[in-house]
Amino acid sequence: MRVFARVLFSEYFVLWLCLACFALLAPAVPGLASPRNLSNMFSNMLPLAVAAIGQTAVLIGGGIDLSVTSAIAMASTCGALAMTRGGEPGSAAAGIAVMLAAGLAIGLVNGVSVARLAMPPFMVTLTSMMFFSGLAIWLTRSRNIHNLPASFLALGSGAWPVVITLAAAAGAHLALSRTWHGRRLYAVGMNARTARVSGVPVARVLTLAYLFSGLCAAVASILYTARLETGSPLMGQRILLDVIAAAVIGGTSLFGGRGKVPWTLGGVVFVTLIDNAVNLMGLAFFMVLTVKGVVILGAALLDRARVNYAGR
Amino acid sequence: MFTTMRKALPLIPLAALLAGCGSTGGPGQLTVGVAFETLQTEYWVASRNAIEAELKKHNARMLEAIADGDANRQFEQIRNFITRRVDGIIVVPKDAQTIIPMIREANKANIPIVLFNRPPAESDAVSVAVVADNYSIARDTVDYLAREAAKTGRKHKAAILIGDLGDINSIGRRDGFEDAIKPHAKWIDVVARIPTEWNQEKALAGLTNALQANPDIDFLFSSSDLLLPSVASALKTAGKYKKRGEPGHVLLGTFDGDATAWRMLQEGYVDAVGVQDLYFDTAETVRAVLDWRAGKQPPARIVDKGFVIHAGNMAELAPRMWGANIAK
Repeated sequence: MRVFARVLFSEYFVLWLCLACFALLAPAVPGLASPRNLSNMFSNMLPLAVAAIGQTAVLIGGGIDLSVTSAIAMASTCGALAMTRGGEPGSAAAGIAVMLAAGLAIGLVNGVSVARLAMPPFMVTLTSMMFFSGLAIWLTRSRNIHNLPASFLALGSGAWPVVITLAAAAGAHLALSRTWHGRRLYAVGMNARTARVSGVPVARVLTLAYLFSGLCAAVASILYTARLETGSPLMGQRILLDVIAAAVIGGTSLFGGRGKVPWTLGGVVFVTLIDNAVNLMGLAFFMVLTVKGVVILGAALLDRARVNYAGR
Repeated sequence: MFTTMRKALPLIPLAALLAGCGSTGGPGQLTVGVAFETLQTEYWVASRNAIEAELKKHNARMLEAIADGDANRQFEQIRNFITRRVDGIIVVPKDAQTIIPMIREANKANIPIVLFNRPPAESDAVSVAVVADNYSIARDTVDYLAREAAKTGRKHKAAILIGDLGDINSIGRRDGFEDAIKPHAKWIDVVARIPTEWNQEKALAGLTNALQANPDIDFLFSSSDLLLPSVASALKTAGKYKKRGEPGHVLLGTFDGDATAWRMLQEGYVDAVGVQDLYFDTAETVRAVLDWRAGKQPPARIVDKGFVIHAGNMAELAPRMWGANIAK
C-alpha cells in the first residue's frame, strides 16, 4: 500500500500512468509492444515534445500560447520558400535560419503584446494564430512547397530528431531549474505583482518565455517539415490540443507557477501512447476522438484529484 | 487515498473496453489499412463505407484511420499500419507531395499502397492511384449544358465556381470547363470565375457578388456538389432559383454526384451532374490491393471515366449514382 501511495503522489505520476496503460493495453492491442511500434511512437513524440516544452515555459509564467500551430505553419512556409528559390533546392542553413527567425518573430509579437501592452495572453495568441495562419496561406496561395534540399530532409529522420529534442529538453530543463531566469519565471507565474515588488523584471521574463515558445515551435516545424519533405501552410494545424494537453496532463498548471520539463515529457508520452493505441485498434474515427478525449480528461481529473488530496 | 482510488475506478472499464477493441481478424483473413484525410463530406463518408463493403466481399478486414486534415498525423497512421503488418494500405492523401514519404515507407516494408481519388506527385516511390478523370467528366458535363444553351438560340452568360487551385482535381475540373466552353463561344460568354477554396462561405459570397455584377448570368458550373447549398442560397437571393422550364431558369451543372445533387436534379434545379463512379473506384482500389499482394503489379494509374447524368438519362443511370443510392 505504501508503494501505491508513493506512486500515486509521485510528481512523475503521469509516467506511472503511462506504464499502467501500456501494461494494460499491450496484450490486447496487436503490435503495440513491438520494437518497430515503440520506435514509431518514439519518433512521433519528438516534434510534439519540442512544441510542448515551449508551451510549458509560457504556462509556468501564467500565460498560454495558442499561436504555436501558426508559428509551426509560418516557419514551415517561410523556411521552405527560402530553401527553394526558383523551384530548385537551395541552402538548408538559410532555410533553418529563416524558420527560427519566423518562430522568434511570432514569439516576440506575443511577448511584447502580453508583457509590455498588458493584453490578455488568450486574446493575443488567439489573434496571432488567426493572423499568422492566414499569412502562411497567403504567402503560398494554399500550395505546398517541395523540392527541399537533401541536407535539410536528413533532419527529419535518423538520429537528428532525437539529438535536437534532447538538446531542447535538456536546455529548457536546466534553464528553468538551475538559472535565475527560471526561478523568476516561476515567481511571475505564481504572483506577478509580488514578483514585481520583489524586483523581478516581469515584462522581460514573460517576453523571454513567449520568445522561447516561438523558438520551440520553429524547431518542431523543422522536424515536421523535414519528415514530410514539404513546406506547408497547414503544417501542425491540428496539434494544438495535443501540445497543451501534454503539458497539462504532465502536471503543469494552467494558472502558472507550477511545471517541469520532465513532467511535460511524461505528458507527451501519455498523449502519444493513447493516440498510437487507438490508431492500432482501428477504431472508427468518431470513436477515436471520443475515446481520446475521455482518456485525456480522465487523466487530467485523476491528476487534479491526486493534487487536491495531497494538499489536504 | 481510497477516495482517490474510487475516482480512478471508472478508468478501469474504459481501459478494458479499449483493450477489447483491439481484436484481430480471423485466421487467413487479410487486413487492409484504410487512411482517409478527412470524413467531412458526404463523398468521403460514402467512399469509406463502399470500401468497407468491398473489403468485406473479399473477406478482408478494414483497419481505419482518419487524419482530420493533418498530413503529419496521416504519416504517423501509415507508419502504424506498417507496424501492424497490414496486407495492404488504401489512402486518401492529404495532398500529392506529403504522401511521397509515406509511399516510400510502405515500399520499404513491401506493403501494397493504393491511393484513392488523389494521385501522388511524380517521384520514384511506387504506388497505384485510382482517380476520376476530373477533366473529361467536367468537360462532358459542361458540354451537355452548352448544347442545352445552344438549343435556346440565345447567348448565355456563364460563371464557374472553382475549387482549391492547390488541388489537382480542382484544376482538372476548371480546365474541363474551359475546354468545353471554347467550341460554344458564340453562345456562351464566361463572365465570372469564382475561387472558393472548397469553402461554402467563400462560394456564397463570391457568387452573390458575381450575380450583383452580372444579373443576367444564366449558366453556372459548380466544381463540386459540396458548394450546391451556397449556389441555391445565392440564386434564391438573386431571384433566379427556378426549375427547368420555368422562365429565368439558370442552367446549372455540378460535379461529384452526391445526394443533394440528385435531389436538385430530380426537382429540376440542376440540369447535369458529372458523377464520379464511386462503385467502380472502390472495386478497382480493393482489386489493386489484392492483385498487388498476389504478385500482379497493377498499373500506376487506374482511371475512372465517370458519367454525366441529366434529365434525359436519369432513370437509367440513377442506380450507378452514389448520391441517389444514399438518398433512397
